[in-house]
Amino acid sequence: MDEIKSGLTEVVCDVLVIGGGTAGPMAAYKAKRHSPGARVVLLEKANVKRSGAIAMGMDGLNNAVVPGYATPEQYTKEITIANDGICDQAPVYKYASRCFKIIQELDGFGIKFQKNENGDFDVKKVHHLGSYVLPMPNGDTVKKALYRQLRREKVLISNRYMATRLLTGRDGQIAGAIAVNTRNAEFLVLRAKTVILCAGAAGRLGLPQSGYLWGTYENATNSGDGYAMAYHAGAALANLECYQINPLIKDYNGPACAYVAGPFGAYTTNSEGNRFIECDYWSGQMMQEFYSELQSGKGPVFLKLNHLHSDTIGKIEAVLHQVERPSRGRFHENRGTNYRERMIEMHISEIGFCSGHSASGVYVDEFARTTVSGLYAAGDMASVPHNYMLGAFTNGAVAGEHAAEVAVNIDLADYNAADVVREQQRVLAATRREDGIPPNQLEYKTRRFVNDYLQPPKVTAKMKLGQARFAEIREDMESAMVVRDAHELMRSLEAASILDCAEMAAFASLFRTESRWGLYHHRVEYPEKNDDDWLCHSILRKRDGRMIAEKRPVAPYIVPIDESERSAYDSQRIRQHA
Amino acid sequence: MPIAHTPTAVPVIVDEAKCIADKGCTVCVDVCPLDVLRISDLTGKAYMKYDECWYCMPCETDCPTGAVTVNIPYLLR
Amino acid sequence: MTVFEPFEAFGDLEEIAERLASEDPSVRRLAVLDLVEMSSGEVVPLLAGAILDAEPMVRQQAAQALGEFDGIEVAKALIGAVPDPVAEVARAAADSLAELRDPEASSVLLPLVTHPAAFVRAAVFRALKALQVDASLGPAIRGLGDDDSAVRVQAVGVIGYLKKTETLPSLISATRDKSADVRLAAVNALSFARSEVGAQAAAAALSDPEWQVRAAAAEAIGRIGQASAAGALIASLADGYWQVRQKALQNLGRLRVRDEVEAIVAFLDDELPSLRKDAAAALGDIADPRSRDALTRHTGDADPDVRKTVIWALGQIGSG
Repeated sequence: MDEIKSGLTEVVCDVLVIGGGTAGPMAAYKAKRHSPGARVVLLEKANVKRSGAIAMGMDGLNNAVVPGYATPEQYTKEITIANDGICDQAPVYKYASRCFKIIQELDGFGIKFQKNENGDFDVKKVHHLGSYVLPMPNGDTVKKALYRQLRREKVLISNRYMATRLLTGRDGQIAGAIAVNTRNAEFLVLRAKTVILCAGAAGRLGLPQSGYLWGTYENATNSGDGYAMAYHAGAALANLECYQINPLIKDYNGPACAYVAGPFGAYTTNSEGNRFIECDYWSGQMMQEFYSELQSGKGPVFLKLNHLHSDTIGKIEAVLHQVERPSRGRFHENRGTNYRERMIEMHISEIGFCSGHSASGVYVDEFARTTVSGLYAAGDMASVPHNYMLGAFTNGAVAGEHAAEVAVNIDLADYNAADVVREQQRVLAATRREDGIPPNQLEYKTRRFVNDYLQPPKVTAKMKLGQARFAEIREDMESAMVVRDAHELMRSLEAASILDCAEMAAFASLFRTESRWGLYHHRVEYPEKNDDDWLCHSILRKRDGRMIAEKRPVAPYIVPIDESERSAYDSQRIRQHA
Repeated sequence: MPIAHTPTAVPVIVDEAKCIADKGCTVCVDVCPLDVLRISDLTGKAYMKYDECWYCMPCETDCPTGAVTVNIPYLLR
Repeated sequence: MTVFEPFEAFGDLEEIAERLASEDPSVRRLAVLDLVEMSSGEVVPLLAGAILDAEPMVRQQAAQALGEFDGIEVAKALIGAVPDPVAEVARAAADSLAELRDPEASSVLLPLVTHPAAFVRAAVFRALKALQVDASLGPAIRGLGDDDSAVRVQAVGVIGYLKKTETLPSLISATRDKSADVRLAAVNALSFARSEVGAQAAAAALSDPEWQVRAAAAEAIGRIGQASAAGALIASLADGYWQVRQKALQNLGRLRVRDEVEAIVAFLDDELPSLRKDAAAALGDIADPRSRDALTRHTGDADPDVRKTVIWALGQIGSG
């Protein structure tokens, strides 16, 4: 195994889904249900059984719009405000209107959501703004349940193939993708009428403080391949400067789990044991407050549970140590930390792209369509803001159905054979060298510079220095990288995606000359929000081989936001300059 | 530029007495999202070949015989 | 170009059946795993055979595997394994039984509600709960008199899931059970009934010796939504556990009863910020102008969550 072989196979399908994590399986399932006769292929660089952000499941939904607890209008409004006004509401509203049906469908798959003693969904109210939290104490079975459905529907699953580039036809429409096997380096050309990208976050962009390349907030397998592929295919990417940064358990790099522990009465405090967060919304503004407290004399920041009853903590542990990031219990044990006795030190994560928690993603409309004809995107890598796991499922479903519908009515586009040859050469170049620089060093260096130069607060001169360093790394990657086996080949391709994302992060951040989204885009030289010039999307794309950026108006709101609600949020814009 | 090998203590430990990879089991290798486990040609048992671990635990949870243990990587401990 | 299909195989039943007959238990166990992968109902007979294997680990694997499938045949196979002498096998079978969703499966489960082993009875009720068939109701009500508290807890679950008004008397009697687990389940279960009698039963549970039951009772009163129980909640504001006081505050807000705002206002000065916050939230829900002055005095609370909630509450009063 892992030995590099040569080989090229071509397969034809109707709908190709790239990425078998959360959105991808749902997209493939829905495409197949929509058109049972269609050939639907699900491509995954790991194994669909346990891949993506929810390999070990999820401990709860934090954006469930359940009738009787919240309305689509209310949700859409809150997301618009939390995303500082930059929100095309149509996809958010569609998500909010449809997600309850998806919850019921997932429930039917045997995925367990918490129910009360009357068999009804046990939605929790965390604050006065609305009730969106639905716990999943047995959420570790999500992937297995999805996998069963895929098998039952006879979706064609292709594990251990990593897509490296999309193929487009003469008119720029989608024609398929090229993939390489991660165990033997054989190539696969997949011709498809429609393609759905569900390749997850760019979670391996910043370097965790531990220095361990794999100790990231996101599943380290999510290296931004989807962002890079969409970019190279000419698709528009939106608001990439709106980074994802999350609170987390320091060093462990697992989520803070305010949504699990919060309903039980836990909260985030400073070192004095007092609450400090002013912001009502999970947003960059909240992260700014978190960051400021960390840097202040009252830092660091803690998760406080030690005021809770031992039995209550037992219930919290039963979830946190079983689901999503179960090695957390082991981490605390090593440190001798017991939730009952002391507060848990927290920190903030490295930067990444992820619309799941923020808004940086490949631009999509309410049908999950990107700007490339026939190409769709869903989940953490598509631009629907704050969509979390349930958004990945719901928008994956939207994408799958639409892509299947379209595929029925069109022919396969022809791709250019020269593109495949060129891509094979790019992918294999590093395998043909006898010695040089291994991918892990190139990756480490890229990500260290991401921390040094791109992490907020953002400074123009630093970001430009970062760009210069990235260009040097690119030169090394193209002229000196060496790869010795198929596994390392996968890592080298990921390193290339990471470098692409780093360049996009710098470019997008330099383009938006204002501050917005709190910490996510805090530009030191432009400390104020500037609605006159920047209440718009920033769009980045590749044109004639070069990166360009442009503005795109926010679509007119379908759920109006009145002035007092907006100003209430702005008034929380505090201590930014303190 | 010759390539050196830097030693690391790997986080995933396999109890060879319990591992049934030699009977045809590949569960842990299959379920690892980062694809870092392999079956040894020498022993026929699973082992961690690449130190690229997200300590996510499917290998441990899904192992039918309880042979796999995931430790927190030393740098994070 | 080579001709090959780069897709996962769907599995070959005959080939797996051969491995199931292997001398080597590890090989049989792996064959069970491969059957699950096939994800098709046609593997159930083979799994039903494997659950009778001589080797406990194969039985356990098969019991676990059957949880991925549904229907009467699955139920029959699992029921046979619930009394297994090896605890892990029994537990796996019980867990898998609880995964059944096909109401037809109840016909094989119901005869076992009087099984001599308590573990079996509990597992059967637990499975019946999810199936939500009316035929379970009688056995579940009788199950409330079971000697084993784990069985009684599951019987409460069956009744609670069916949400029938006529079961209220039995649920209410279960709120006085000698086991706290049963009382807790019963208090939680009776909140489906938006009725006076349910509210009074929940109010009575506010004096339960166990604080978790009292907290659940406060929550149940809020869900039931009968203003008559507000007085009992006010009394619980003096409970010895802050967790119960907190639930009482939250659910007084839900009831929106205006008579007792003074008692709630007092909590704006509580030493625990979470209680101050919930007091403010309750006052906002009730939106009685008489609490305006007290709230105004607390807009400068040291805790940001309290401040935010106080300001929100004042907004509610202003517009209400």
